[in-house]
Amino acid sequence: MAILEIKHVSKFFGGLAANSDVSFALEEGMIMGLIGPNGAGKTTLFNCITGYYPPSRGEILFKGRRMNGLNPDKVCKLGMARTWQKVRPLARMSVVDNVMVGALCRTNSLKTAREMAMEQIRVVRLEHRVNVAAGGLPIGERKKLEVARVLATRPELLLLDEVMGGLNPAESDEIIRLILEIRKSGITQMVIEHDMKAIMRISDRIVVLNSGEKLAEGNPSEIVSNPDVVAAYLGSEH
Amino acid sequence: MRMLPQSLVNKRGASPVRVVLTLAVVALLFFFPRLVESTYALHIMILIFISIIMGSSWNILGGYTGQYSVGHAAYFGVGAYMTMMLLQFKQIPPWYGMWAGMAAALLTALVIGTICFRLRGPYFVLASIAVAEIFRVTTLNLKEITNGAEGILATELPPLRIGGTVITDFLTKVPFYYAGLVCVLLIIAISLGVQHSKLGYYFQAIREDQDAAHSLGINLTVYKNAALAISAVFTSLAGSLYAIYVGFIDPTTVLALDLSVQIVLICIIGGIGTIFGPVIGALVLIPLSEALRSNVIAEGLIKSGLVNAESGVGTFLTDHLSHAHVLIYGILVVIVILYMPDGVLGFFSNLAAKRNRGNA
Amino acid sequence: MTIFLQSLISGILIGGVYALIGIGLTIIFGVMRVINFAHGDLLMLGMYATYFLFTLLGVDPFVSIVFTIPLMFLYGGVLQKVFINRILNSLPQNQILLTIGLGLIMSNAVMLAFTSDYKILTTSYSSGSVDILGISVSQPLVISFVITAAITALLYWFLLKTDTGQAIRATAQDREAAQLMGINVKRMSIIAFGLGASLAGTAGALISPTYYIFPQVGSSFTLKAFVITVLGGMGSIVGATLGGILIGIAESIGGVYLGSGWKEVIVFVLFLLVLLFKPSGLMGKSNA
Ligand SMILES: Nc1ncnc2c1ncn2[C@@H]1O[C@H](COP(=O)(O)OP(=O)(O)OP(=O)(O)O)[C@@H](O)[C@H]1O
Ligand SMILES: [Mg+2]
Repeated sequence: MAILEIKHVSKFFGGLAANSDVSFALEEGMIMGLIGPNGAGKTTLFNCITGYYPPSRGEILFKGRRMNGLNPDKVCKLGMARTWQKVRPLARMSVVDNVMVGALCRTNSLKTAREMAMEQIRVVRLEHRVNVAAGGLPIGERKKLEVARVLATRPELLLLDEVMGGLNPAESDEIIRLILEIRKSGITQMVIEHDMKAIMRISDRIVVLNSGEKLAEGNPSEIVSNPDVVAAYLGSEH
Repeated sequence: MRMLPQSLVNKRGASPVRVVLTLAVVALLFFFPRLVESTYALHIMILIFISIIMGSSWNILGGYTGQYSVGHAAYFGVGAYMTMMLLQFKQIPPWYGMWAGMAAALLTALVIGTICFRLRGPYFVLASIAVAEIFRVTTLNLKEITNGAEGILATELPPLRIGGTVITDFLTKVPFYYAGLVCVLLIIAISLGVQHSKLGYYFQAIREDQDAAHSLGINLTVYKNAALAISAVFTSLAGSLYAIYVGFIDPTTVLALDLSVQIVLICIIGGIGTIFGPVIGALVLIPLSEALRSNVIAEGLIKSGLVNAESGVGTFLTDHLSHAHVLIYGILVVIVILYMPDGVLGFFSNLAAKRNRGNA
Repeated sequence: MTIFLQSLISGILIGGVYALIGIGLTIIFGVMRVINFAHGDLLMLGMYATYFLFTLLGVDPFVSIVFTIPLMFLYGGVLQKVFINRILNSLPQNQILLTIGLGLIMSNAVMLAFTSDYKILTTSYSSGSVDILGISVSQPLVISFVITAAITALLYWFLLKTDTGQAIRATAQDREAAQLMGINVKRMSIIAFGLGASLAGTAGALISPTYYIFPQVGSSFTLKAFVITVLGGMGSIVGATLGGILIGIAESIGGVYLGSGWKEVIVFVLFLLVLLFKPSGLMGKSNA
């Protein structure tokens, strides 16, 4: 069953169509890769899906429920969580407190929240940083914190916006391992990433955006051999 | 790697030493009126209490939640006016009137919050000022209800009776002292409760990053309004206390922009977003400004021989320094913002942390 | 009808001075993104300077701006260099508090020096009036409006036609880009604060023949300056000019028809409405 359906979604900023008529669907348990050149509208699509702003046109269905116009907090409560491309640590709170804020979405007890938080901190392997101020972490660990924090909200669908951006190969590998581990726990994921090798390795399906439009959709092998995709990437990056 | 300053770490439990020390201080405060005869000392203590209450109340909204209201005089004024109007015009004793004040402040807060929390950053600050100014000007103009610019003078307080026995007749400062102390303990307990609960975590998350907080399932409107509601209710309580203690209120003392600024400064100077920041702030500000107001400093300078009483400077200081107690607020806030952005408390705890690390 | 026209005209005349105050604030905000809560206190300093130039040296208030402008420019530049520059990257709240602190220091230092007594500056023409199209208006208001108009024109010329002016506008548009283009942003900030301060000081000088002069006079003008700039769109100079005139008119007409007590309420309610429904200002683009 499709956990998320995007139907003819468009988003305009003044005259600029950051997304135009984008449609696709995510099956439960899969990893969907979302790729496209800079400014293709990937983050904008995440923002529309998670209620950061309403889409100008079209419809977003999560577990069959219409999401248009819901606020981000409601979206999170319904089981859809996102990370931010530009990480947003709660800088003056400790790592564990950051993750607890996520966990408190599901419980009112600090004790339970702390247990849930420690569990996710172990998953992303930040145990050695538990009481450090989040603002002081190096970028690789901030990205992990971001993931731990959204995992603590117990999502069914996770939207990851360039969690490997700015990381060294070893750190990226760790994130890849983490994403595959998350999949094992049954959480559906949509992953924005620029690293082609990584995205090909982890994705079950890939959607390519270009200038706000959906350029292609298919499994990784279909995408690499798609002439339009190759042209878009060669045209923009070389 | 930077560790969190002590003040920002959410501690679990408290050490026995701390508990004993706290109890000792509280006990001492309860016996203070017995030990110290001076009414002036009591007066200063009461002013400090009122400042702690309003500072701590603001702290819940401004310090924990990061919503810098520079219009808290509105809630202080609502409390002060509600209590005084009921007392003078309806003969309702203040221990009932203050509840009315708190209820009115709560209502006001919810209306204002729903409107103003759509704004962020400097726009929120400006809106909060505008609201408080609307309250001030309206109070000035509604002469039939509020007495306008003349203000309200309390003629006398009825004695407080419980079951026929007179508890106090308010002839000395002592009952005000205890009322203030109880309220201080109450607001500190509430701050502690907030800090160690879901509310506290959500408030701080909103302060650190609203968008991130929103995406983590925090309903911004609900939690910002919750913070404002708590903050407004206790600011109003401080207003009620002030009104009956001083016995006179008018729009320029209890609804002025200066007061709103003063409330913020208590927290900034002590250390924002910490339980004891407002306490430290009040302990620094009130004695300093009272010393200036009562000319202690000018006299001290002259007595110490630094300034000749007969000289131009000497007469100038004795004549004018008492008018300039607000000057000290200005100078302190500039120093604090430039050199101690975490407030006096943060400054010293950072200093201590540095020294510890140096020794280790 | 005559009363309406009369209040309309004096509203426009007073609005000219308000525009000066608003433009100063908006330039500072535009270039540094700092809301200057000491703006009214700068105006108060201008008033006192004018008062003493008049009582001690006999300089006419309107002539005294020749001294006030450079003096306040210098003062503003120093404030910027010593204080504001150090908090450009801190939280907006801290910036606001710093300027509040500076304002408190100014007003209380003046109170310390000259007491809080109201001072009145009476010139031969303080209560004179002029006939405009059969409607009599206050003479000092007319003179101050003429001077205001000239200064505003000069300012527009400076900002639009001179290199420095263009550099200031570029900085206001995008600080980082301006820096990359080789503009000395620090210097522009000093000039901007100097300009803002001298505009506020000039406004103070111009209103000193018609207003009471006292140390706390600033705060009501600070508030008015906020209303004006928000109304016109923060950072917009044209917006501040129109905003100033609009507030002048609203106050003047409101004062006549609702009583002077309520006129401030109108201004603040207007302010809240704009903040809520058009935070980009009446002139600004809607971001919906
Ligand atoms: N809030 C906004 N207002 C105006 N334009 C916007 C806004 N957000 C995004 N845009 C524009 O929409 C387009 C798509 O931006 P978006 O951030 O979605 O791209 P992206 O695919 O995530 O790019 P990147 O790979 O660089 O992260 C860009 O041209 C961007 O400038
Ligand atoms: Mg993006």
